[in-house]
Amino acid sequence: MIEPLLFLWPSFLVAVCLVGIHAYFGIQVLARKVIFVDLALAQIAALGATVAFMLGHPAQSAATYGYSLAFTLLAAVLLAFTRAWGTRVPQEALIGVIYVVAAAAAILLIDRAPQGAEHLKQILTGNILTSGLNEIAVIVPLYAAVGLLHWLLRRRMTGTGALIWEFVFYASFGVVVTSSVAIAGVLLVFSFLIIPAAIGVMFASTLARQLAIGWIVGTFTSAAGLAASFNFDLPTGAAMVCAFGVALAVAGLLYPFLRGNRQNALRVATATARWTVTTILAAAALQLAAAPRADQPLIDLIEVAVPSLRTLYFTRAEHATFVDASEYAERYRREAEQLNEVERRNRTQGVAFDDFFVARISSFLKSYGEMRKGEQFVMGEVRARARERIRWSVSLGLLALALLFAPVSWRRLWTRTSSCPAWRDRRRQNPVFARQCSRR
Amino acid sequence: MVLRFAVLAAWLALLSPAFAQQRLQVVTTTTDMRSLTEAVGRDLIMAVNLVPASMDAEDYQPKPQDVLRIKNAQMLVRVGLDYDLWVDRLLAQAGKPEISRGGPGYVDASFAIAVLELRGMSVGPGDGHAHGSGNPHYWLDPKNAEIITGTILEALARIDPANAASYQANRSAFLARLGAKLVEWEAKLAPLKGMPIVAYHNSWPYLARRFRLDFVGFIETKPGVPPSPAHLAGIVKTMRERGVRILVREPQEPERDVAFVASKTGAAIVKLAASVGALPRTDDYISLFDANIKALTSAAAKQ
Ligand SMILES: [Zn+2]
Repeated sequence: MIEPLLFLWPSFLVAVCLVGIHAYFGIQVLARKVIFVDLALAQIAALGATVAFMLGHPAQSAATYGYSLAFTLLAAVLLAFTRAWGTRVPQEALIGVIYVVAAAAAILLIDRAPQGAEHLKQILTGNILTSGLNEIAVIVPLYAAVGLLHWLLRRRMTGTGALIWEFVFYASFGVVVTSSVAIAGVLLVFSFLIIPAAIGVMFASTLARQLAIGWIVGTFTSAAGLAASFNFDLPTGAAMVCAFGVALAVAGLLYPFLRGNRQNALRVATATARWTVTTILAAAALQLAAAPRADQPLIDLIEVAVPSLRTLYFTRAEHATFVDASEYAERYRREAEQLNEVERRNRTQGVAFDDFFVARISSFLKSYGEMRKGEQFVMGEVRARARERIRWSVSLGLLALALLFAPVSWRRLWTRTSSCPAWRDRRRQNPVFARQCSRR
Repeated sequence: MVLRFAVLAAWLALLSPAFAQQRLQVVTTTTDMRSLTEAVGRDLIMAVNLVPASMDAEDYQPKPQDVLRIKNAQMLVRVGLDYDLWVDRLLAQAGKPEISRGGPGYVDASFAIAVLELRGMSVGPGDGHAHGSGNPHYWLDPKNAEIITGTILEALARIDPANAASYQANRSAFLARLGAKLVEWEAKLAPLKGMPIVAYHNSWPYLARRFRLDFVGFIETKPGVPPSPAHLAGIVKTMRERGVRILVREPQEPERDVAFVASKTGAAIVKLAASVGALPRTDDYISLFDANIKALTSAAAKQ
């Protein structure tokens, strides 16, 4: 328990700092409807760094930061002065263009200097796990200064004032994004920016409350993402982005219950859930009927969870073959692993194997691989045949189950059609029939 | 005066297309294969590599010029073992059966190599390679150069039988030089025997086997996926327990992740080149080992 905490607390502190400033900028960005502006600014900063790199400056030098900053400020000017576009062409179009052109230009430059490719990738991928106190020492004063500036100019930062204030907004945002993307990567910074802000805006109307909600949600989600990343052995950045996605989904599900008509929300939610189940079941039924030998995602998933389910549709002989083949496949895998381990240990321990012996190990490994492939083919074939046999009965069963889940009132449908069937429509001119139908 | 004319004449001859045409045109996927092909072909061939030095050959994006290079080539040397899969698409596009699989000018250099870490089709735990054809970094065992140059020699003699004897002599001279160097390298690396080392990517099993080096762990678990915190914590723990003092990084690998592990453990970062040309002073196959072994021994001496 102590070990993960020791390992993760610097990343958590960095995440809290990043959430702090990005939740604020996120609210501003949502209000201005320039959602992808951080990607464009990050890419422009990376282009600046690439130019510096091409001119011979080392990766983490003052000159490189200078070029990054200059390019970002240039982009800020462009963004501030094209706000007026909004009436005819959405500004988001320009942001997209800045992003793709900056990315393409960087690729063109890097093509001349292969060793720069990794450098460019590093600017944009980051790794929050390997960041810590060094980064905090830089970003805390920087973000505090930017925050203070925005607090002093809080009446000007509405997005409706003079162009100069728009420039200040984009320039300071560019400075923040340039530093944060290098630490956490584009994906995670985008999540920090948009998701806490979106949840804040969803549930509150004043800036202070939106910020408070964003900060709380962002901090807890970051902690959850980090914990999941450690527990389930996942890459940290990607795990955190997914955690933020889940947070937004939960907020979106809660929203109608907390803010809207509760009963209506419940009804819509139930209907959605039932339609989803119906669609999945019907699709699985069709897939099984149409292509019984192909992948059956639903059935495969259920079989992975409950392997004994196979006994329901395998014959006894099929089941025996299947189990036998899977045991042999596993045995070959284990033996190959053991052989690999013997070879690995022999690199440093004992008398070194000569080259012929190693070649023999290598060909043994190859044979084990082939034999294992053979067993897996047998398993697939047995399963495919069994599924072909039950194709019609099971897909009909699945279809019936799908109909059962469908949120349609069968009784009403039934009574309506039986009391006023279509073939009677021809007698519609007869007023007696018409009245009977409408009365029912 | 005469000398000046001679120099001028030689220079013109070098430039003239007729002279270039006389030399056998060879395309290799990586710089390592190019260096080994040149060791056999010397001035009888003209070799170009498709992937620039220090670029990751596994996710290389071919350029239009590459199709042209393939079209003009009479021989192709590839690493194989799923290391340069993209070349199949290029070959299909260029439509050159004579240098495609089965053709006389096609060389898969992994032929007859004793492949390490074969895992069938699945990915083993903690292995840095996405595909199960075994670890493809086999050129990092200098002894394997014997097999690789043998395969190259066979193909060169097949398409250019007139010069077969020269190719044979070139290869023998190269192997003699390599053999002498191997003795020197083994002596230099003797103090590192059994010294635990951690690397970013699992490029080194062949080098480890030849020189009895002990790579105890890797920072990267799958190519292109950042390490998880549990894995990093495990690596740091292993390094502390086993007293790992050397951390190997290739120039194209993320600096930050390696620096992070180094700062947690106090190990020294050693930059090694897994390919010819990836670092300064690694201009050919032999100097690649010279540079790597110098870097390793000087890091070990500082401990
Ligand atoms: Zn590799």
